[in-house]
Amino acid sequence: MTLRRIQAIARKEYYHLIRDFRSLYLAFIIPLLLILLFGYALSLDVEHVPTAVVDHDRTPESRDFILRLDASVYFDVVARPPSAAALTELLDRNRVILGVVIPPGWGAGLSADRVAPLQIVIDGSDPNTAGNTRAFITAFIARANEKNLLDYLNRQGREPVRPPVEGRFRVWFNEDLESRNFIVPGIIAVIIMIVGALLTSLVIAREYENGTMETIRSLPVRAGEFFLGKAIPYFFITLIDVLVAILMGQVLFGIVMKSSFWLMILASTVYILVALGTGLLISVKTRSQLVANQLAVLVTYLPSLLLSDFVFPQQNMPPVLQAVSKLVPATYYIDILNGLYLRSLSFGQLWPSFLMLALMAALIGALNIRALQREGL
Amino acid sequence: MDAEAVAVTDLVKRFGRFTAVDRISFSVRAGEIFGFLGPNGAGKSTTIRMLCGIITPTSGAGHVAGFDLFRGSERIKQSIGYMSQKFSLYPDLTPFENIRFYLGIYNVPPPDWPERIEWVFTMTRLSTVRDRPTRELPPGWRQRLALGCALLHRPRLLFLDEPTSGVDPITRRHFWDFIRQLTAQGVTVFVTTHYMDEARHCDRVVMINAGRIVAAGSPAEIVARVLPDRPQADLGDAFVALMQRGAP
Repeated sequence: MTLRRIQAIARKEYYHLIRDFRSLYLAFIIPLLLILLFGYALSLDVEHVPTAVVDHDRTPESRDFILRLDASVYFDVVARPPSAAALTELLDRNRVILGVVIPPGWGAGLSADRVAPLQIVIDGSDPNTAGNTRAFITAFIARANEKNLLDYLNRQGREPVRPPVEGRFRVWFNEDLESRNFIVPGIIAVIIMIVGALLTSLVIAREYENGTMETIRSLPVRAGEFFLGKAIPYFFITLIDVLVAILMGQVLFGIVMKSSFWLMILASTVYILVALGTGLLISVKTRSQLVANQLAVLVTYLPSLLLSDFVFPQQNMPPVLQAVSKLVPATYYIDILNGLYLRSLSFGQLWPSFLMLALMAALIGALNIRALQREGL
Repeated sequence: MDAEAVAVTDLVKRFGRFTAVDRISFSVRAGEIFGFLGPNGAGKSTTIRMLCGIITPTSGAGHVAGFDLFRGSERIKQSIGYMSQKFSLYPDLTPFENIRFYLGIYNVPPPDWPERIEWVFTMTRLSTVRDRPTRELPPGWRQRLALGCALLHRPRLLFLDEPTSGVDPITRRHFWDFIRQLTAQGVTVFVTTHYMDEARHCDRVVMINAGRIVAAGSPAEIVARVLPDRPQADLGDAFVALMQRGAP
C-alpha cells in the first residue's frame, strides 16, 4: 500500500469529478434541492386546518363559537357554506379538511343547559392529518365544555370543582413538536446516500465502459489502493454536503445542534464510508453505469428514506420490515443524529449505533477489496 | 536481468470449457524484438495478459522479468511496460495529467518527475497539446502518448498488444523506428500483431493458431522451413500454408 498510488488515483478521480457536469450537479444542486423540498414541503405538522362552518343556529353563542375556532392556530375558518350540501361540495373539492355543522337551536340548548350536539366532518383521505385534526378538534371542544361547566357551577352559586384528573403535558426532546426538527437529520442521511452511493456507483462502472479497467489491471495497483483512491474525493464532497446541510438547517429552519459537533462529524464520517463502499461495490459488480445507478437507488436511497425511521415510524412496521430496517445503515445514523440534535446525548449513550455503523463500514470495505481482487487487482 | 526476459513452459488458460491457450512453451531473449503472431482469436491477447500478470494461467510454469507468473504478478506489473491498442488513456484528462497519473501509479520518486515528463513530451512530440483533453488528439498521437506512459518507469521489458492496428503506414514506420531505438538501449520488446509484414521487424517470432504454437524461429527460418521450394515467399505465405495444413 503506497500513499503515492492512492494519491495518483484520488487526483485522477478528482479530475473526472470536476469535469463531469452531471456529477457536480448531482453532488451539490440535488442536496440543496432536497433540503428545501423536505424542509418546507414535508411538514408533518397540522396547523391552520382549512375549516368550513355551517351555522344553522345564527345566535350569539354560535357566532362566539366560530370566532374562537377561527382564533385558534389549529383552525382557519375559510368558508361559511349555507347548507350541509354546500359543505359536502367543499370537502369533495378538497377546499377544506374539517367541516362543522351547528344545528338550529344549538345556542338555545346551550343556554338551557341541555346537550347541544355539533356535527363534525373530517376528510380522512390522509389518515395522519385526519387523526391530528380529530385530536385538535376534540381538545378544542373539551376546553369549551370545561368553560361551560364552570359557568354552570358559577350560575348555581356552587364552589367551582376542578376536574378530578388533570394531565399536565411537557414534551421532551422536541419541545415545539416541530417535525422539521427531526426531518433535518433524516435529510442529511438521505443526502449522504444520494451523493455517496449514487455518485460512486458510477465510477468503477465507468472504467469498465471506457475500457480503462484493463489499464488499471495492467498497472501495479492493489485493490486497497484503488478503493481508497476512488473513495477519497467523494468522501470530501459528501462531507461538504453534510456541513452545508447543517448550516442550512440552522439558517433556514433555526435548528441548532445541541450536542457535540465533532461527534456528529465522527458519525457522518463512518456513515459516509458505508455509503461510498456500497456505491463502489455495486459499481464493481454491475460494470454498467446505468444498472449501477438504478441498483444504487433501490438498495441505498429508498431504504434510507422509507425504512430508516425518517418518514415512517419503525414501531408501526410489520415485524419483517422492522427486521429489515435493522440492516439499513441510515437507521443507526438517524438514531445518532436524533440523539445529538434533539436529546443532547453523549457518546456513552450512543455507542451501540456507532458500533453498528463501524461494523457495517468494515464489512463493506472488506467486500470491496475482495471483489476488486477477483477483478485482478 | 538474466538472458531470458520471458520463459514459459506448458502454459494453459481455460475459460470454463474453452481452452484459449493450450500448452505453449517459448522463451524471449533479453534485448530482442519478439513477435507473437496469429489471426484474431488465436490466443495472442490471452497470452500477453498472462505474461503481464493481468490474469493467472490455469496451469503451466513461467517467469517474466525474473518474477514467477503465479506468485509475482504485482512485481511483474511494476517491472514491465504494457501498451494495448484496446485500452485507452483517460480521455477527459490532459496528456500531462495522464502522465502524472502513471508516474504516481508506478511509484516514481517525485524528484525524477520533471525530467521524465520532459522526456515523454520530447519523445512523443506532444508538448504543444500538453493541456488539451486527450480525447481531442488524433489516434496516432494518443498511441504515442500511451507508449510514453508505459515507459515512464524505465522498464527493461515492454509488451505491446497489437500496437499498430488502426494506425496509418507513416505512423507505423515511425513507431517501428522508435522500437528499434529502444532495443538499442537494451530494452526487450514483446509484440503481438496480426500484420504478417510487420514480422520482418522482429528478431524471432512465434506463430500461434487456435491456442497452439504452429511455428517458431526467425522469420527467414520459418519461411524456409514451411515453403522450401518458394524462395520469394514471405511470412504471410508461410502462415497461410501453415493454416491450410492444420495444426501440427
